Amino acid sequence: MSTILWDTNGTEIVKTLAAERRAAGALASGLAVTLVVVVAEERVEEAQRAATTAAAAHPCRLLVVVRRRVDADDRLDAEVQVGGQLGANEAVAMRMYGRLTLHAESVVLPLLASDAPVVTWWHGETPDKLAHDALGVLAGRRVTDAADDPDPMAALKRRARDYAPGDTDLAWTRTTPWRALLASAFDDMSDVATSAEVRSQPGNPSAALLAGWLTARLGVRVRQMESDGPGITAVEVRFGGRDRLRIDRPDGYLATLSRPGITDRQLPLKRRDLGELLAEELRRLDADQPYADALSVVTGEKGLDSRSPKRTLVWKDPARAARKAATTTKKTAAKRTAAKRTAAKRADARKAAARRRSS
Amino acid sequence: MTASYPPLTDIPPEDGPPYRVPLRNPLRDVRDRRLPRVPGPCALVVFGVTGDLARKKLIPAVYDLANRGLLPPGFAMVGFARRDWGDGDFAALARSAAEQGARTGFREDVWQRLSDSIRFVPGSFDDDEAFDTLASTLVEMEESHGIQGNAAFYLSIPPAMFPVVLKQMQRTRMADNSDRGGWRRVVVEKPFGHDLQSGMDLNRLVDEVFTPQDVFRIDHYLGKETVQNLLALRFANTLFEPVWNGNFVDSVQITMAEDVGIGSRAGFYDTAGAARDVLQNHVLQLLALTAMEEPVAFDAEAIRTEKTKVLGAIELPAHLDQYAVRGQYDQGWLGGQRVASYLEEEKVPKSSTTETYAAVRLNVQTRRWAGVPFYLRTGKRLPRRVTEIAVVFKKAPHLPFASTDTEELGHNQLVVRVQPDEGVTLRFGSKVPGSSMEVRDVSMDFLYGEAFTESSPEAYERLLLDVLIGDATLFPRNEEVELSWKVIDPLEEFWAGSKPELYRAGEWGPRGADDMLARDGRVWRRP
Repeated sequence: MSTILWDTNGTEIVKTLAAERRAAGALASGLAVTLVVVVAEERVEEAQRAATTAAAAHPCRLLVVVRRRVDADDRLDAEVQVGGQLGANEAVAMRMYGRLTLHAESVVLPLLASDAPVVTWWHGETPDKLAHDALGVLAGRRVTDAADDPDPMAALKRRARDYAPGDTDLAWTRTTPWRALLASAFDDMSDVATSAEVRSQPGNPSAALLAGWLTARLGVRVRQMESDGPGITAVEVRFGGRDRLRIDRPDGYLATLSRPGITDRQLPLKRRDLGELLAEELRRLDADQPYADALSVVTGEKGLDSRSPKRTLVWKDPARAARKAATTTKKTAAKRTAAKRTAAKRADARKAAARRRSS
Repeated sequence: MTASYPPLTDIPPEDGPPYRVPLRNPLRDVRDRRLPRVPGPCALVVFGVTGDLARKKLIPAVYDLANRGLLPPGFAMVGFARRDWGDGDFAALARSAAEQGARTGFREDVWQRLSDSIRFVPGSFDDDEAFDTLASTLVEMEESHGIQGNAAFYLSIPPAMFPVVLKQMQRTRMADNSDRGGWRRVVVEKPFGHDLQSGMDLNRLVDEVFTPQDVFRIDHYLGKETVQNLLALRFANTLFEPVWNGNFVDSVQITMAEDVGIGSRAGFYDTAGAARDVLQNHVLQLLALTAMEEPVAFDAEAIRTEKTKVLGAIELPAHLDQYAVRGQYDQGWLGGQRVASYLEEEKVPKSSTTETYAAVRLNVQTRRWAGVPFYLRTGKRLPRRVTEIAVVFKKAPHLPFASTDTEELGHNQLVVRVQPDEGVTLRFGSKVPGSSMEVRDVSMDFLYGEAFTESSPEAYERLLLDVLIGDATLFPRNEEVELSWKVIDPLEEFWAGSKPELYRAGEWGPRGADDMLARDGRVWRRP
């Protein structure tokens, strides 16, 4: 069942959602969480598919916010869906135009499931400071994806500067299977690690975080080496001169675990899709201190975990910023062409990032 | 160069006894909630691996654990059974068992990796050579699979075979913790004997070969998500604890009903009956978790201590003739099908007086539960399969409504649904919409599937994992088994020589059970 509302308002959406729920018989509902997805039009389908996979494990109310052009007339279109292809879940997809894009929370706030935790996930463009987006401020947990950025390492730096407990990044989520395997392989090591190394595609943020985590936990230097990928391809921990623990995963699918004195073992270590990553994110909704530790090592930012988990909205008006930019660029035409060139470069980099995404 | 680890904020819980103290794993961090609980390197040895239980539950559970990434890199499974099979034949059997029984989707690559670590050792239980082979297989796997001398032995065999198998393990020193420098554990399935004496004998036998803390008695009900949730419900909330006592609770009803008959278990069932088969273990364990005091910590020792206290405080009614009822199903209609009576089941003697239904009223002699009857019932061929714990509260001491307004108002109830539809139901009175004041009972449901899905792990998966990790929280200990027999033995004694009351298959037990509650002015809840 789905209802489409053209040129509507928040009250209408709330009413429609209530009516749809009544019709679907979902009155006594067990919603555990509200998931807000901030996504660009061309990636809505991808995000919705991932959210649906995740929702199969964690029933949630899914609110998809698509921000269209700011310089259009104010307008809100919405699609309300209960059950149906989304399984036992309810979803509202909202497309916002004009100045409304800057006030998306006015539509989202009344739609949050009462007293349930809120998770906001930016799929695609992420604000430099999450506090610039009111949808990030109202969430208890904020999910970003550094691998999605044209420059993932710069993105990690931004995330670290902006970090508040409750932030998390899918680049970190991608390391979980590696970390789980390493931790259980360590269960029966009785030596002290002396050095380690992580091999991955160049500029892979998950590899950086994995190396950061190893440094934080083992207190040793971790070298990062480059390989052809996909994603992370090997981790090696050395214990003094001879002994070493090594996990190789050349194909993104099957890993070989080598340890001193034991025959090599093969284990499945599959790269996971977006839906599975998101499902892991929804499993725990408390602050992720090990992530903060790893991020701190990678970026050199200190005291991440002792920051306040509360964010306050920092008002940033893109229209004003654009106007300001326009007046300055008018002065020199040469600068404008330069800007165009950078824009083109950024687009190229974004495409490259899409290829590189996921570990 | 010697590296020094940064100060850790945690020490990983190590429940197991200290055999070899490995360096504290620096990669484990209690704050790291993403990393799964994975056991250390170990082997799982299953005796009777070609049996029903192993095929339907154990092998699928092992596969599911592997698929969820919860088995350690150093893991091996060894099957031991009487058939003349090679590794290959056994692999085929294990594969089909995993394919049919697994809860999670079957993935070829996961299975391939898992089957690499499965071995089969054929032989009979009195065959010394076979056990020597088993012992040497385990030693070999230390090298080839990195299991480090850790092994759990799962006795999926009839209790009559226990002495032979245990003797063999003693002879080959397989049960000895110190022999290979790792832990050795044993897993025992019910029945834990058939009365107090045999239960104690069995305990002594197992404890002689293994150290008592290495013995894990499986009661698969305790592996269910809702049963563990009972503890969360009671001890993590402020809402329920203040009313969880005789001041507010009128009575407690624990029901474990099955719609099936005895199937192919006639041989065992006819010598046991419902009370020994189900009441003694599952139902009394549910009672213990419902009635126990708050444990001082959420660990194995503290929880088992509280359960033991409750089981020791159970008192049978003075008039067993009025408060203990047993029944046997007659032919009847169930779910649209005609079903045979118990006496017509295959291999059941025509003169059998074994009960297939048992109901009893118990008291728990503690301050908390003084005067609160616990009604327990269990039976086969009842209308539907359901297990639940219903806490029935007292009626409000005063109702400011006209008596006609509240005619349809019953007792408030808190029902923990153990299976199916795992969850919790709260029943309370609510006004019927309309111009007049009328109060009627309504239900508020919490369904596991809705709020937290990560589809509840099958009980065996959870329990196997706990055995391999060495967490004994969900396993009853010796004393609990013996105390439970002290409740059941007088019942069996009282029933000996009498004939069970007949009830039609497809109805909620014999008339006598209804009369028993009617005597106290109560009725059974329809689950």
